[in-house]
Amino acid sequence: MKQFQYVRPATIQAALDVISKPGSKIIAGGTNLVDLMKRGVTAPDKIVDINHLPLKGISEPIGNVMTVSIGALALNSEVAENSRIKELFPLLSMALNAGASPQLRNMATVGGNMMQRTRCGYFYDTTMPCNKRQPGTGCGAMEGVNRMHAIFGASDQCIAVHPSDMCVALAALDATVEVAGKKGKRYIHFADFHRLPGEKPQIDNNLAPDELIVRVIIPTNNFSRNSYYLKIRDRQSYAFALVSVAAALEIDNGIIKNARLAMGGVAHKPWRLFEAEQFLVGKTASEENFAKAAGLAMKGAVGHGGNSFKLKLAPATITEALKHAAGLV
Amino acid sequence: MKKAINVTMPSSAEGMSRVDGRLKVTGAAKYSAEYTMPGLTYGVLVGSTITKGHILTIDTKAAGRAPGVLAVVTHLNSPKVPGDQPEKGKPVPDKGALKVFYDNKIYYNGQPIAVVVADTFERALYAASLVKAQYKAEKHITNLPDNRDKGFAPRGEGVYKRGAADAWQSAPFKVEQEYIVPTVTHNPMELHAIIARWDADDKLTVWDKTQGVNDTRDDLARLFKIPAANVLVHSQFVGGAFGSALRTWPHEVAAVLAAKVVSKPVKVVLSRADMFTSVGYRPFTWQKIGIGATADGKLTGITHEAAGQTSSYENFTEGPVGVSQNMYACPNVNTKYNLVSLDIATPTWMRGPGEATGAFALESALDELSYAVNIDPLELRIKNYAEVEPSSGKPFSTKFLKEAYQLGADHIGWGDRKQVPRSVKQDGWYVGYGMGSGMFGAYRSGATVRAKMMADGTLILQTAVSDIGPGTGTAMTIIAAEQMNIPADKIRFELGDSSLPPAPTQGGSATVASVGPAVVKACTDLKEKFQKLIGNGGEDHPDYAKVLKEHNLPSLEVTSSSDGGNGMEKYAMNSWSVHFVKVLVNAATGVVKIDKVACVSDCGKVISPKTARSQVIGGAIGGIGMALMEESIIDHRYGRYINNNFADYHVPVNADIPQIDALFINKPDPIINVMGAKGMAEIALIGMAAAVANAVYNACGKRVRDLPITPDKVMG
Amino acid sequence: MKSDKPTPETTDVKDSSRRDFLKQSTLLTAVAVTPVVAIKAANDHMDEHLAAVFEKMPLKMEVNGKTVNLSVEPRSTLLDILREQLDLTGTKKGCDHGQCGACTVHVDGHRINSCLTLGIMMSGKKITTIEGLAKGDQLHPMQEAFIKHDGFQCGYCTPGQIMSAVSCIREGHAGSEHEIREYMSGNVCRCGAYPNIVNAILEVKDGGFAV
Ligand SMILES: Cc1cc2nc3c(=O)[nH]c(=O)nc-3n(C[C@H](O)[C@H](O)[C@H](O)COP(=O)(O)OP(=O)(O)OC[C@H]3O[C@@H](n4cnc5c(N)ncnc54)[C@H](O)[C@@H]3O)c2cc1C
Ligand code: FES
Ligand code: FES
Repeated sequence: MKQFQYVRPATIQAALDVISKPGSKIIAGGTNLVDLMKRGVTAPDKIVDINHLPLKGISEPIGNVMTVSIGALALNSEVAENSRIKELFPLLSMALNAGASPQLRNMATVGGNMMQRTRCGYFYDTTMPCNKRQPGTGCGAMEGVNRMHAIFGASDQCIAVHPSDMCVALAALDATVEVAGKKGKRYIHFADFHRLPGEKPQIDNNLAPDELIVRVIIPTNNFSRNSYYLKIRDRQSYAFALVSVAAALEIDNGIIKNARLAMGGVAHKPWRLFEAEQFLVGKTASEENFAKAAGLAMKGAVGHGGNSFKLKLAPATITEALKHAAGLV
Repeated sequence: MKKAINVTMPSSAEGMSRVDGRLKVTGAAKYSAEYTMPGLTYGVLVGSTITKGHILTIDTKAAGRAPGVLAVVTHLNSPKVPGDQPEKGKPVPDKGALKVFYDNKIYYNGQPIAVVVADTFERALYAASLVKAQYKAEKHITNLPDNRDKGFAPRGEGVYKRGAADAWQSAPFKVEQEYIVPTVTHNPMELHAIIARWDADDKLTVWDKTQGVNDTRDDLARLFKIPAANVLVHSQFVGGAFGSALRTWPHEVAAVLAAKVVSKPVKVVLSRADMFTSVGYRPFTWQKIGIGATADGKLTGITHEAAGQTSSYENFTEGPVGVSQNMYACPNVNTKYNLVSLDIATPTWMRGPGEATGAFALESALDELSYAVNIDPLELRIKNYAEVEPSSGKPFSTKFLKEAYQLGADHIGWGDRKQVPRSVKQDGWYVGYGMGSGMFGAYRSGATVRAKMMADGTLILQTAVSDIGPGTGTAMTIIAAEQMNIPADKIRFELGDSSLPPAPTQGGSATVASVGPAVVKACTDLKEKFQKLIGNGGEDHPDYAKVLKEHNLPSLEVTSSSDGGNGMEKYAMNSWSVHFVKVLVNAATGVVKIDKVACVSDCGKVISPKTARSQVIGGAIGGIGMALMEESIIDHRYGRYINNNFADYHVPVNADIPQIDALFINKPDPIINVMGAKGMAEIALIGMAAAVANAVYNACGKRVRDLPITPDKVMG
Repeated sequence: MKSDKPTPETTDVKDSSRRDFLKQSTLLTAVAVTPVVAIKAANDHMDEHLAAVFEKMPLKMEVNGKTVNLSVEPRSTLLDILREQLDLTGTKKGCDHGQCGACTVHVDGHRINSCLTLGIMMSGKKITTIEGLAKGDQLHPMQEAFIKHDGFQCGYCTPGQIMSAVSCIREGHAGSEHEIREYMSGNVCRCGAYPNIVNAILEVKDGGFAV
């Protein structure tokens, strides 16, 4: 790892000043950044430690503010274990607990989790081609080992997936991201936070390089009784998703009033299944309907050989997750 | 009627605890990388980024100028390794161990091309990233299935035949299938590490991760042409190895060279990525089995072919087809074993070498045959039980595998198994049962032990054996405590140091069987020495301390040896195992959960129940990993591993593993040695992968013949 | 064998240029207090070259109850500082990338992976390693239970397992075997001691020992 300058700003404003300089990188939990620096994937000149900024809190819904706000520096474990989060958004808690390991969740932050980069092996190995790491070198995975890669929304430049579990839940929960920049605050809908690779796979999301994630805001909902996060992976724990599904249903007398579905491990961003959600509204909560919804969700999916099994695994996982959410298993 | 069998199934708390447990739980146990010494420096290896060809130029300027860097050693400036140089008048062998920094040739991706030495680890690591090489690449091949036609029979192995060849083809019931065991990497938790220090021009001390301090000493002495007595190898604690530390590897030689260059001690610790290319692996092996039986399940013929990969510069052989020769009483057996040379590093023995690979194919094929014949797979095995060694006709020293079958079957609840897949569901998951059996030669070799009774009644035992985890010191202490009739806490077992009396390398499950008799012999001799001191009428177990005091002696010691035994002449000697597994399978998502495991070992007398149990459980978990998730994947376009890290190369984690029952037949083998103890490390793993695969089939009807059994292969 | 490593109390000041840098680096730490001005100062005073070459910053933290004052490169991980500078080799390196748990230590009472933790970020924190778990000669109940249930073979993953096991109970995640398995899955054991580790944790948990 190259030497770098370490700075620890005391205010958000000061942090924004430093990160606007090229070559500087924010560090939060460090679980992704330090890993990538060790591999030489990224080599910042300046590390900006934001851990002393007041961005940790988890707020309650108060009065008619029907939202919960989670600070960018709240730890993955703190959020997952928070009793109000468990009660209001069990989906988020489940997704967080399905990710990484207890130790890593004690380090990883909400902001860092959103900003974590792909786990694609070609991205990680600096001797391999990778358009995301080094634009123009080609995509090693496209015709290589791509078992873990995207079946939705990929481009001919990149078929990497975003590896987060938390983000899949946040996408399903219609969260909003508050970011701070030199010009002030702005809000990004969670579904718009991450982007598809297109012609610029080196850019993971729509946060500007001189912006900072401040917090994530989640509107309260009626899904807490019928939520489930199902993650299919090569071992029972401490592994990234082959496919994961966040399923949230509002069921009244066996009829689905509202549905939210998002998938992980299948795209460059958490993949919301809008069409499947719409289909489920007004239907009975049955395995048959779930399978139909899963079928709709697969429109436009493309396999690349090694990951083609996901064309079958994804719908199976959607159905299974919905069954769990509906209490059918 | 079933006979009642005496069960030996220790709980985790039963039996004597490890003698080195306290050191291990307090962090006081020192592994090779953990010694400090004046002037210690850090070496970091640079690996080639091409797979085959040669280095054109290598730019070390930036690295050499980086802060803290003491040296950058490459083939251009490395001191010569005398033992690597061609000998005058002798032909240069066309194959042999990789000679590090010898010339500009590249044989595999990741081959060390430089070692950068600096005053701190961070600086060495950074400087290593600055070394840049230009190569002339040649076309490489790293893919075994596509290059099977290039296979050749290794010397001394190759073909075997008894009875008629391919007799299975004319059987009324038959199965012919291909099986793949991919490259599996040992990946012990401890990264391979060495600290090398030259104490004089011809005196070398290393703290090295090795399974055999004597072998390492001899290798280094030969390579650097210095007397073996001048090489001191320390390896007191070894953080697992499973075979990866059975030989001397290039990084060890690189460290010794670097230490010579900087005239300071150099520590080289491999990265986890290096662990995939630098210290061997279980070779990718293609196998094909044809097996036939009569309607009542009598085997008529087995044909077993295997092709395993090796490097271009060495022929590594193991015995995957051996199990088919000797596991079952079958009149007609023919086997063929080929090697395919690829542009990869040389494989090495990994727990249950060959046998584990072969048993996956054979035990899967047997299971497939049982469905073809429609007979219970356990019954099929009993029907073809070998009472004598099929290949030689020799009697077995002992074999209680039939008892083991029954024990395991009772224990797992084999009676609940249904012959038809997809018959049983539990909470929405298909339930399946499977079994797989294993065998491994029971070896023993000579060893020497020094036993020294101290004035305070402490017995010190010394021998140059390693303990990579099984608890060698604990087992030896138990043996000595019984022999001397003293409490175990009065015994200190010293090991892992090449200056101690010689012992075999820890491998082939032979440590207890080999060193144990030497401990017994040393204790016997020491007691005799005491008897002589006391004179006539002395009791067999005197108060040793008192005797020493009476005779005004500070201590009394003997050095005794045991030999390799000669049981092999008359007997076929093996350890045996059978594994029973219950799995739950979600047919939609392909997820497989191991629900219950019972492993029965027939390995003679159990010396140390607590550590024996752990060893069996550990082997079973290794087998579960092999079955369900382990695979080192190369992108053949580049010849480079793509999952060479612990996030992408999956080994089982706690959540994958239920309670595992380890049962022992625990009947001594009177032929192998005085204790009647045989090896158990390898059989704990051999047969396990097939047991899991067979259980998955029994659950959901998916037969997976290419490991690992990941969800994508099971679903739908 | 005597170690010539800098003891925790002595700051490694080998040459004058480094000493100069240390003066500069106080500027850097000041960033925490007076951000904007100091950052500007840092940027002005430290050209790329100097920043890349001279490296060390003071670090004060508490390790196993003792205050240590060190001078570290910002790129040094807590794991390497513990093992290479403080000779606390009980904490192990199994992967160096957060993928195995061998490096697990407690920071302010919580388990983390020290290999992905920059040492410099530990300033003011309380670190507990395996060496700090026992009270003198008296082993921690979890250490006792690991010995009793043989929660290891080679012992290399063991310090990390034990630190994790203590946290597993403290966090309230040792409610059932199933839960223990899940919450101990961040610690890989290649020897396969998992069932024994679970038994050890159950013993401590059910025995009601203070952890
Ligand atoms: C072995 C391993 C297994 C894992 N398994 C999983 C898994 O199964 N599921 C899963 O979801 N994740 C997994 N992770 C990833 C883990 O969740 C992320 O590494 C973690 O969430 C990143 O958070 P952090 O705070 O440590 O980020 P850091 O490493 O500190 O930062 C990551 C990136 O985010 C940027 N950043 C951080 N905070 C902010 C902010 N407030 N504003 C703007 N930018 C910011 C940083 O500049 C950096 O680029 C795993 C990680 C490892 C090492
Ligand atoms: S060494 Fe830190 S997790 Fe492996
Ligand atoms: S005891 Fe060896 S890795 Fe766990």
